[in-house]
Amino acid sequence: MLFQSQFYVLVFLPAVTLLYYSVAGSELARQWCLIGASLVFYGWWDARFVILPVTQILATWLLALAHQRTGRRAPLIVGVVVNLLSLGTFKYLDFILGSAETTIGITLPRAHLILPIGISFFSFQLISYLVDRMRGEAPIYPLRPFALFVLLYPHLIAGPIVRHNELVPQFSLDPRREGLWRRIAIGLVIFTIGFGKKVLLADKLGAVVDPLFADARLHALNLGDAWTAVLAFSFQLFLDFSAYTEMAIGSALIFGLILPENFRRPYLATDIRDFWRRWHITLSSFLRDYLYIPLGGSRHGLWRYLLATMVTMGLCGLWHGAGWTFVAWGLWHGVGLATCHGWQRLGRPMPKLAGWVVTMLFVLIGWVVFRAASFGVAGSMLMSLVGEGGAGGALHEIKLLLLAALASALIPSAHEIINGLKNPRPMVSVAGALLAVYCLLEVGTKAPVSFIYFQF
Amino acid sequence: MFWQSAKTDESKAPDWWAFVLLFLGVLVGGAAAIYLFILLVDPYDTVPFSLPIDRRIVSISDRFMYPQIVRSKRFDSLVIGTSTSRLLDPQVLDRSFHVRFANLAMSSAMAWEQKTMLDLFVRTVGPPKVLIVGLDGVWCAQNADRDRITFRGFPDWLYDDNPWEKYLYLFNSGTLEIAGRLVGYHLHLYRERIRYDGYEVFVPPESQYDLVRAHEAIWHNFRPPVHEQRPLTAGELGQLSFPALDWLDAALARFPSTTMTILAFMPVNVAALPSPGTREAEIEAECKQRIVAIGRKDGAKVIDWRFPSPLTQNETNYWDPLHYRVPVATRIAEQLGAAALAGHESDDGSYRFLVH
Repeated sequence: MLFQSQFYVLVFLPAVTLLYYSVAGSELARQWCLIGASLVFYGWWDARFVILPVTQILATWLLALAHQRTGRRAPLIVGVVVNLLSLGTFKYLDFILGSAETTIGITLPRAHLILPIGISFFSFQLISYLVDRMRGEAPIYPLRPFALFVLLYPHLIAGPIVRHNELVPQFSLDPRREGLWRRIAIGLVIFTIGFGKKVLLADKLGAVVDPLFADARLHALNLGDAWTAVLAFSFQLFLDFSAYTEMAIGSALIFGLILPENFRRPYLATDIRDFWRRWHITLSSFLRDYLYIPLGGSRHGLWRYLLATMVTMGLCGLWHGAGWTFVAWGLWHGVGLATCHGWQRLGRPMPKLAGWVVTMLFVLIGWVVFRAASFGVAGSMLMSLVGEGGAGGALHEIKLLLLAALASALIPSAHEIINGLKNPRPMVSVAGALLAVYCLLEVGTKAPVSFIYFQF
Repeated sequence: MFWQSAKTDESKAPDWWAFVLLFLGVLVGGAAAIYLFILLVDPYDTVPFSLPIDRRIVSISDRFMYPQIVRSKRFDSLVIGTSTSRLLDPQVLDRSFHVRFANLAMSSAMAWEQKTMLDLFVRTVGPPKVLIVGLDGVWCAQNADRDRITFRGFPDWLYDDNPWEKYLYLFNSGTLEIAGRLVGYHLHLYRERIRYDGYEVFVPPESQYDLVRAHEAIWHNFRPPVHEQRPLTAGELGQLSFPALDWLDAALARFPSTTMTILAFMPVNVAALPSPGTREAEIEAECKQRIVAIGRKDGAKVIDWRFPSPLTQNETNYWDPLHYRVPVATRIAEQLGAAALAGHESDDGSYRFLVH
């Protein structure tokens, strides 16, 4: 089910909300209500998919229980391996086979497994729990709240990636506690902002991006087309993913649950480290805490720092997709982060504007590699950006690009709204509701377009 | 933390409650009012309990607007096809065949879309008195079963027989706009866009015809598909599959003998025909042969305008490689009547009978 579908907005969310609050007095019933709703939400694509997260949750919980009973680390290590194997099998098996085939020159069979939606997200959450158990930082939860921590449908498919200790304690709070109406009001506002960004901007940008990148597979684009494609994709990716996050945070807030911040206007970043503090924050934090720091971080000399950064960012790229272009995108950012780190240690800060320009150019180049179907297309697109495909053509869809730029720069993040919206102004309420009606009408014109990050 | 709430929220609680109430009131009230408006105006004439108003065709979205023409039951005969058949004027055909024609050919329609239109007609009206199938390359596409619709989308919910299901699809800005246009028509603010028999002149007015531009469009702006010179082997020929022809055969086989079926290959300019000797030309020839066999089996007349002829070689007859001019369309419509009813052979070699 998609957040921006009429069915979700007009039927599913209201029905689940009513049911949830009708049983709000019972923690047990509340949790079962959300588990049931989450399974329906996830199984809406294909009911068979439900088996995988449920199995991984059960296996992880049982292994954590075995660790508690035996006091041995082995069950936790097995748990991490099981989750990685699941992710590896469904997401990376054909990629590994393909890469091996290229290396050894022998044709290998392919598994052609369907990628279960959201597998990267729920696998990471389970792994983070197991690692926290190893560190002695995670208790054994009863199965029901543990399952709900992973399954909770607002974040199940594409995050934000939530830690157990951020969410499980919230399940025992009565959603009718003080601040109930403010939470629902702000949930509605944040959801509507995401709804608008997705339907009115991201999907329209997608219609510009897709044919241009398809053309780039056939021939070099002229300067205008190339810049249009790259700028449009840069805005599309941010608006699409942040829209999903906002609809997730808004939905959860209606149930009295708060999910962590995931984006903080990343295209205002003035250096690449700043960018990663604003872009997909929950993934960056996850990689920092479970990969970068264990690898040594920045406290064990230059070479260890470089190794930790490149490995972390290479794997960050691979997490996004089973392809070498994604790895290259991750490594590109690794190089950027290391360079930025070195520059900042020189103690000669770049002027803000220059820093912003350099950062955005760096990010744009990265998005070309991220979006392109192959290195050939990426190379062609990058050459087109400097006029190799002809200096003709002009930037088109300027109005849409301008709107997207304004939305990216000016719309506050979900948590900025949560913390900043203090007064219940009727105008905001009416404007939000009218925007929601408009989006509902727009999304009804055709089948809703899936979110980009669903493929990761 | 916010989710644990703050004391300051308590004093504001009534205001936030009003905020939520206002939000939901505007959302639900606004959506319900718009939905009610759409259902009452019912621009596709498709749901029960709509207002009994005259519903003209106020949009050129043929895939959305044509089902109501069928459901009106005002027509007993039809044309299906793509834009190469859209200019056949039902009024010209009516004069020849003495029936009531609707032209339900749709721009760029895939074979499956055309078949769905025919199915709707047969289920709603019954077997047609006369059916003209304007044949194009889409019927010979070997991936017709996979590529059933175009990027434009196809509202298949308008083509089934469940009126209640349609309530699920009408709440959108496209339908709202067309409903608004229909109200505009009744207020004399908006005009009918397509005649109620489906006929629409989608090419520019004849007064704007410019041979130089047409020549450009036919020979320079048109990028023909790349054709392979490698001939088909006998094995490849035998393995050719045309899924759409199975649909055509199944549709025609159920018609009674009172239905006159005409399978007409429509005339595109020679620039759009596959070059002789190419694989594509061989595939098209094979497809034609199979259509001829269907025509013979199901008692249909098969008439061919799609070959190099004085008509298709003369670029003054065309706006572009695919679309002939309105006077040409009138001539073809008249020729259809003469050929199908009287077995009249072409005077100028512009068409030929493949099955009488």
